[in-house]
Amino acid sequence: MSDITHQPDAPEDDLLAAEYALGVLSGEERSAIEQRIRREPTFALLVEAWEQRLAPWAEDIDAAAVSPAIWERLAARLSNKPTANAGWWQSLAFWRALTAATAALAAACVGALILVNTTLRQLPLVAAIDGAAGHAFVATVDERHRTIAVLPAAFVADPTRVPELWLIPSDGKPRALGLLQADHAVTIPIPADLAVLITRESVLAVSLEPPGGSPSSSPTGPVIGQGALTNL
Amino acid sequence: MDLEANRSIIAAALARIAYGDRAALQTVYQLTSAKLFGICLRILGERGAAEDVLQEVFVTVWRKAADFDPSRASPVAWLTAIARNRAIDQLRAERRAPRAAPIDAAAAISDPEPIADRAMEQSEANQRLHRCLDSLDALDRTALRAAFFDGNTYEALAARMNVPLGTMKSRIRRALLKLKSCLER
Repeated sequence: MSDITHQPDAPEDDLLAAEYALGVLSGEERSAIEQRIRREPTFALLVEAWEQRLAPWAEDIDAAAVSPAIWERLAARLSNKPTANAGWWQSLAFWRALTAATAALAAACVGALILVNTTLRQLPLVAAIDGAAGHAFVATVDERHRTIAVLPAAFVADPTRVPELWLIPSDGKPRALGLLQADHAVTIPIPADLAVLITRESVLAVSLEPPGGSPSSSPTGPVIGQGALTNL
Repeated sequence: MDLEANRSIIAAALARIAYGDRAALQTVYQLTSAKLFGICLRILGERGAAEDVLQEVFVTVWRKAADFDPSRASPVAWLTAIARNRAIDQLRAERRAPRAAPIDAAAAISDPEPIADRAMEQSEANQRLHRCLDSLDALDRTALRAAFFDGNTYEALAARMNVPLGTMKSRIRRALLKLKSCLER
């Protein structure tokens, strides 16, 4: 086998990649493969191709409820930021292309969450904030930590105005939650007096406001998207 | 359950994680952790170990998100592979005794085929994979399943199917090649 190690297209390498992806190799064999994945990009691609082929099989495995403590333990470990290299994600074209697809998928995302979470007791509140112009944010509420994480799924930045997040409970009166970012997700702490209003059926909306946010207690700019919180 | 419906959302979030965006990691976690935990739990069979591995999975996602290339890979499959690989590595490190129940023709026939009653919830990729798996010999398919879902090694499979190791190896390899050519058709 050693004599064909450097011929990435050799059938033997493809079979080794398949065996690794299937999970049938011993610990020692897996370590050797993992070393090759790190060193040989062409071999890594063979493994990735097999992982892509076999991964859909895992859909047959049921989701299982995760203890909320796991996220806390995990978050505590993530003190160091990874270093980002220049790559496809910095390409404006990529984001433009994603924009169209994502707005439509935000709703599907919420739909899929229904399926993911049917077996869970702790159901996160989520909202897909959709607008006619293809603007879309996805908000997930972390009730335990009283925060809302808002991911700009397909929001195109306006240089003169900032997106602001509003909570519109059943009384119809908007309450300001905080400013959003066009290019990265933000985590907004939920003010104590608003926590009780963040419920199923309340609506999250995003308006465009002057820098620093709405000068009044309600939106002054156009509402570019909204979506109901759903507990699934 | 069709996580593939989340494909664009997860791909976008992975791109932001590469920038060190923690809230994006939280989004991916909220969307996928239950599914990935199910995978770890299935392979490791024990909650504590599966919880430890789930953390490792998301630490890997945090560090390696820049490696994810949406032009080549499905984000769900990418995450699934990380979860399976970390879980199997952990299983090997623990050197636990493999599942010992013999696999024979009867076991292969009685093996559950979830696709029949779940077809509506499965992605197109899952259904295509099942169609190709169905074209394999029933015993080979059962052996592949025992490897994929339970992390059985060649040694464990040979023992369970009561065949020599070399025979087991060539059967699996032949089945994998047949599967690949069916999927590429």
